[in-house]
Amino acid sequence: MTDYAFMNQCLFEGKHEEVKKMTEEALAAGHPVQEVLEDGLIAGMRVVGEDFKHNRIFVPEVLLAARAMKAGMAILHPLLTENKDATPSEVIVMGTVKGDLHDIGKNLVGMMAEGAGFKIIDLGTNTSAAEFIAAVKEHNASILGMSALLTTTMIYMKTVVDAVKEAGLSSVKICIGGAPTGHKFAEEIGADGYAADAASAVELFKRLISEKTNASQ
Amino acid sequence: MRPNLQLLETSLIERIVDEALTVLEKTGVDLEGDEAIKRLLDAGLPVDATEKKIRFPRKLVEEAIQSSPSCVSLFNRDGDLHAQLQGESVHFVPASSALRVMDRTTSEIRDPTSKDLVEFAKVCDGLKNISYLATAFTPQDVPQDMADAWRLYLILAHSKKPVVSGAFTSYGVERMARIMAYFRKDREDLIQKPLALFTCCPNTPLRWGEDPLHNIIDCADWGIPIEIVPVLLLGMISPATTIGALVLHTAEVLSGLAIAQAIRPGTPVVFGGAPATFHMRLMTNPMTAVEALQIYCSYGQIARHLKLPSQAYMGLSDSKRNDAQAGAETGIGMFLAALSGINSVSGPGMLDYVNCFSLEKLVFDDELAAHALRFIRPVTVKDDLPTQELIAELIQERHLLTSEHTLQYWPEELYLPGPLIDRTNWDQWELAGSKMPRDQALEIIDEQLDNHEVEPLEPALHHEIQDLFRKTCKVKDVILPEFS
Ligand code: B12
Repeated sequence: MTDYAFMNQCLFEGKHEEVKKMTEEALAAGHPVQEVLEDGLIAGMRVVGEDFKHNRIFVPEVLLAARAMKAGMAILHPLLTENKDATPSEVIVMGTVKGDLHDIGKNLVGMMAEGAGFKIIDLGTNTSAAEFIAAVKEHNASILGMSALLTTTMIYMKTVVDAVKEAGLSSVKICIGGAPTGHKFAEEIGADGYAADAASAVELFKRLISEKTNASQ
Repeated sequence: MRPNLQLLETSLIERIVDEALTVLEKTGVDLEGDEAIKRLLDAGLPVDATEKKIRFPRKLVEEAIQSSPSCVSLFNRDGDLHAQLQGESVHFVPASSALRVMDRTTSEIRDPTSKDLVEFAKVCDGLKNISYLATAFTPQDVPQDMADAWRLYLILAHSKKPVVSGAFTSYGVERMARIMAYFRKDREDLIQKPLALFTCCPNTPLRWGEDPLHNIIDCADWGIPIEIVPVLLLGMISPATTIGALVLHTAEVLSGLAIAQAIRPGTPVVFGGAPATFHMRLMTNPMTAVEALQIYCSYGQIARHLKLPSQAYMGLSDSKRNDAQAGAETGIGMFLAALSGINSVSGPGMLDYVNCFSLEKLVFDDELAAHALRFIRPVTVKDDLPTQELIAELIQERHLLTSEHTLQYWPEELYLPGPLIDRTNWDQWELAGSKMPRDQALEIIDEQLDNHEVEPLEPALHHEIQDLFRKTCKVKDVILPEFS
């Protein structure tokens, strides 16, 4: 019998090795993938999210839990993709745009999103439109996240948006962030969303995914 | 004696520097950009080209510190000496490169224009306690690939004073240097009489990105003084504790310094920084956090110990508005910086994590700077020791208002603040229209704008510089905005 409450607690405490082991054991014991995901991992992360929102825990604890989530997801990810009855785990391609080396914000967004069960493909800094497109194709990404901190480089986001459209990748949702950008700018360049910090970025990703799922149903 | 704030004992400073040298030798610094790496190899630096890393032998860094000037001199547009960053001299300078401005009439936060920057230059040029200018924000009405140089040009066209600036791209410094060279006889003359101080930022921890690395090399080639500004975020990309952070900070500054000295020995380098804490809930980077202030003051001491000029982002606020927080953070930072003998204190005018510039705040900060500078004036005997005679005079006359002693000393002793520091009593204040600081600031701005005079650039020079923009801008047939 898998003790999901205990698994949630381990996840909350950031015990990534334990979470990985328990994920494997739950699957070996014959529990469905979707159940392990929801009751074992997501339920634990929900508490983390709530506690963070209410100032009971802080960024370090959230990231420790996110790392444990990632460890569990690494086991589940291939199965979720194979299994038609399960919700596939979504891939986000992230990068800081060409000419820009600022990556602190982008990295935080990536780590927080991992905590929500997303798989992150991090292209690092100074990323060209071609590199974004290649990665979206290769990993069949649902979301493309771009970061820019300079007024000189934020305009490159438009280049990427246009190139993605030109490449016919109409299903990938494009999100942007970074101090010089904003909702208005996102709209102007035809991106699908903007978020001001890592916590709201994760909310945005989740919303876009659920909109997409609803639209395709 | 000049009042002096000390957080570290000399023995601790020595240990921090020693550990920083060990880190540079053992861990080394990562480098990006093949062309730049080649330049460093050619300059004789022990770069491992496959690993893209330098491990600095201790002796190399020690010699580089020796070959760095302990005084960085800045000259104005005409080539006259304007400021010397050395010892315990303190200069206040606006913070640089904000993304947005606070509109002075509507208080709305919006994109900056070229006209805003010209207004800034005119106002700042007249402020008595702001020693030189900075490219305070980035106009959005020009193609952004030329924005860094355009800002510099607008400032130089409206003020003779030196400028703190920096490039946004790997190729940015050269165009900016060429603009500055128009104000000198030739390149050599610009090297002898630098007109600007450029910011170059390592990428914490211990990395030099391609653009900043090119920038250091180009600055060294053109003799442009460099302020090396690591941005540690305590607890995030730095140890959360003071000493650990100071070791990392010092190692990063010294790595940039060693690179600059290898390219051109004698390149003026300033030990700078913009450390901040990392907010463990909001994920923001407050530079005005109390722990960050400790780091600033401490590395100021380390710089002085190494006989290097210092710079710090201290006279600014992370508040969104010109409110009580803004006044408190800026004032505290300025006093601590002045007491720590930071040579170039960046900050006046800046709000919101160096993202938003406010002209209104700038004139207010000028007043705070006056206070900080007044406070660090050495306390000396002024015909007032022995004091007995002066006290006898006071008792006899019942006041000293008309005493010889007062007449001689009060004008320099008792600083009379401008209208932004309200010293009226309630009735006087009401009678004068119950003005709030903002009203006073706007009046000062208008006055500065009305009275500002600077020798205009020759039309031919405008033409030549604008031609340079047209030729080098990536946007074909670029239309340059009107700005005056
Ligand atoms: C730290 C920093 C650096 C570090 C970067 C280290 C790193 N590895 O990233 C260093 C010191 C290397 C650096 C270098 C430079 N910098 Co800098 N830097 C900053 C600073 C102070 C903080 C940025 C930061 O990390 N904040 C903390 C993180 C957590 O917040 P964040 O980035 O905003 O991210 C959050 C949100 O925006 C959002 N988000 C971010 N990305 C994404 C992506 C998506 C998809 C979503 C949904 C959300 C999202 O979520 C994040 C987490 O909550 C900013 C000023 C500022 N306050 O923004 C200047 C700033 C951006 N830098 C600036 C400049 C000028 C430079 C340099 C050009 C300086 C120089 N001459 O060398 C170089 C850049 C060279 C280059 N080609 O890129 C200017 C930009 C000016 C302009 N007009 O464009 C700024 C505004 C400072 C200033 N006023 O001078 N910088």
